[in-house]
Amino acid sequence: MNIVVGFKIVPDDQMIKVVGDKLVTDAPPKISTYDKNAIEEAIRLKEKFGGKVTGITVGSNDRKSIREALAMGVDEVIAVISNKIDVYATAMAIVENIKPLNPDVVLFSEMSTDSGTSALPAYVAEALGLPYVSNVKSLKIEGNKVIADRGMVSYVETIETTLPVVLSVGGEINTPRIPSVKQIMESSKKPVKEVKFDIQPKVIVKEVKPLLVNRKKIVIEENDIEKAVDKLLEYLKSDGVL
Amino acid sequence: MKIVVYSESPVFLRMGAAVAQSFGGELIGISTSQDAKFFNKLYLIENTDEEGIVDLVVSLTPDVFITGNVRKDRAIAGRVAGRLKLPIITDVLSIKLDGNKAMINRSAYSGMGIAVIETELPLVMTVASTQLQPKQIEPSIEKVKLKEGRIKVIGRKSTSSGANISTADIVVGVGRGIQNKENIKYAEELATALGGVVGGSRPVAAELGWVPEDRQIGLSGLRIRPKLYIALGISGQPQHIAGIRDSKIIVAVNTDKNAPILENADYLIVADAVAFCKAMLKKLGK
Ligand SMILES: Cc1cc2nc3c(=O)[nH]c(=O)nc-3n(C[C@H](O)[C@H](O)[C@H](O)COP(=O)(O)OP(=O)(O)OC[C@H]3O[C@@H](n4cnc5c(N)ncnc54)[C@H](O)[C@@H]3O)c2cc1C
Repeated sequence: MNIVVGFKIVPDDQMIKVVGDKLVTDAPPKISTYDKNAIEEAIRLKEKFGGKVTGITVGSNDRKSIREALAMGVDEVIAVISNKIDVYATAMAIVENIKPLNPDVVLFSEMSTDSGTSALPAYVAEALGLPYVSNVKSLKIEGNKVIADRGMVSYVETIETTLPVVLSVGGEINTPRIPSVKQIMESSKKPVKEVKFDIQPKVIVKEVKPLLVNRKKIVIEENDIEKAVDKLLEYLKSDGVL
Repeated sequence: MKIVVYSESPVFLRMGAAVAQSFGGELIGISTSQDAKFFNKLYLIENTDEEGIVDLVVSLTPDVFITGNVRKDRAIAGRVAGRLKLPIITDVLSIKLDGNKAMINRSAYSGMGIAVIETELPLVMTVASTQLQPKQIEPSIEKVKLKEGRIKVIGRKSTSSGANISTADIVVGVGRGIQNKENIKYAEELATALGGVVGGSRPVAAELGWVPEDRQIGLSGLRIRPKLYIALGISGQPQHIAGIRDSKIIVAVNTDKNAPILENADYLIVADAVAFCKAMLKKLGK
């Protein structure tokens, strides 16, 4: 089975901070949270059906993050270096590089933690002319047949389609593995193909501002929980919410 | 200008229609409901085959395609944009058109930031909020039978649990810190005593099933705006905060006084979630 998994290297969302009136986004890079679930699912498919897992990442080419994907079990990574990217440019970069691989399954996560559009997997599916199944929370492949449960918040939908297919997954689908020291050592021998791709993006980000809500941030710490609750109830009454 | 609006969700369809009306031009709606009377023309669809909807939208070659923020809408938006190679902007908070240029504010970084962006028509967008209301317009109605796509729906299970956390005045949210499914009953007793409802973080609602899935609060679940939100054992990751920003007062209960939720809370009680519920119930005389 030819498996491709897309992952994005993003600033760690837990380290992004508001400082004054600025959103400081130059936090340490990491693989976007649910993209690890996509990588895990790709590796599980390979373990079950054989074949190869090719990872593809566009934008940042942070070595450590790429090594982590390889250590988890990805066989090879294509790192596309591109400065200005939007959904369109990213999708075109991915399609150009994975089309020659004739993938049976292309996996993504449902949303990255930075731009969070959820649009990329669908965009890629259309550009490849493949069916697209979003928000997959469980996946079964038998022969050519694909059966998936989609978590849609207000309902769960079970669908059937056929390979080749593009899928996006959420955090519910699996628990990403933590690579062993040996796997981390061996990952340095796996191939990373750096390619350049430049295309005019259709969306330009002018500025990113923090979305500020001022909160009181009062900490109530008491040995006696009843005392703490008394304090809280007083506050809530004076706020007029109880 | 031709604007096409579709949403699986009636509230987002209304919001999309309101935005479309503010642009002016030829307004085309796609809906399964005859009652969607905010457009010049309404395509009444019987089934909701995703590829069928994408094909219909694409065949209309809109200048703007507007949809909502539920997961189905986002999948359709991405496909329409991909098929027509258009710019796509999701989570739109506000938009200004100037000829062919569009200046847009959208949320980014899991809700922590607002990105100011520029793009050009034609474009695809999903709207973030559901606040605006459209004017009534009597549309001409055309029934269409959608093409069946390559994805067959073989089952559908509602996760509906009755309560509507989007409109509740008081919401008690539970997170992984509540420890186990049995402890949820304390949150429920507290919610009942306060006249509120229970919701949960994504892991609790979508992964662990401790609360019904349709009560997931956050970026990828529901965005709520209660008077009082009580977060029991929720760490306060940006994706959860995105769903509770509009709450008037936020109370967090966490054993860790340095939990990130403090940044976004009015009061943080350093305590065990269950012990807190019990003490609250006692004080409230329940
Ligand atoms: C693209 C994307 C979308 C997402 N969408 C959502 C979303 O819509 N909604 C959402 O909630 N999350 C969402 N998430 C997940 C989010 O990042 C967090 O993982 C999640 O919110 C954490 O849930 P939690 O706070 O319940 O659990 P944890 O992060 O595990 O936190 C548990 C907390 O409980 C505290 N605790 C432990 N024991 C006790 C005790 N006895 N009493 C009191 N407190 C205790 C701990 O100190 C900790 O702070 C999304 C993630 C991604 C990547």
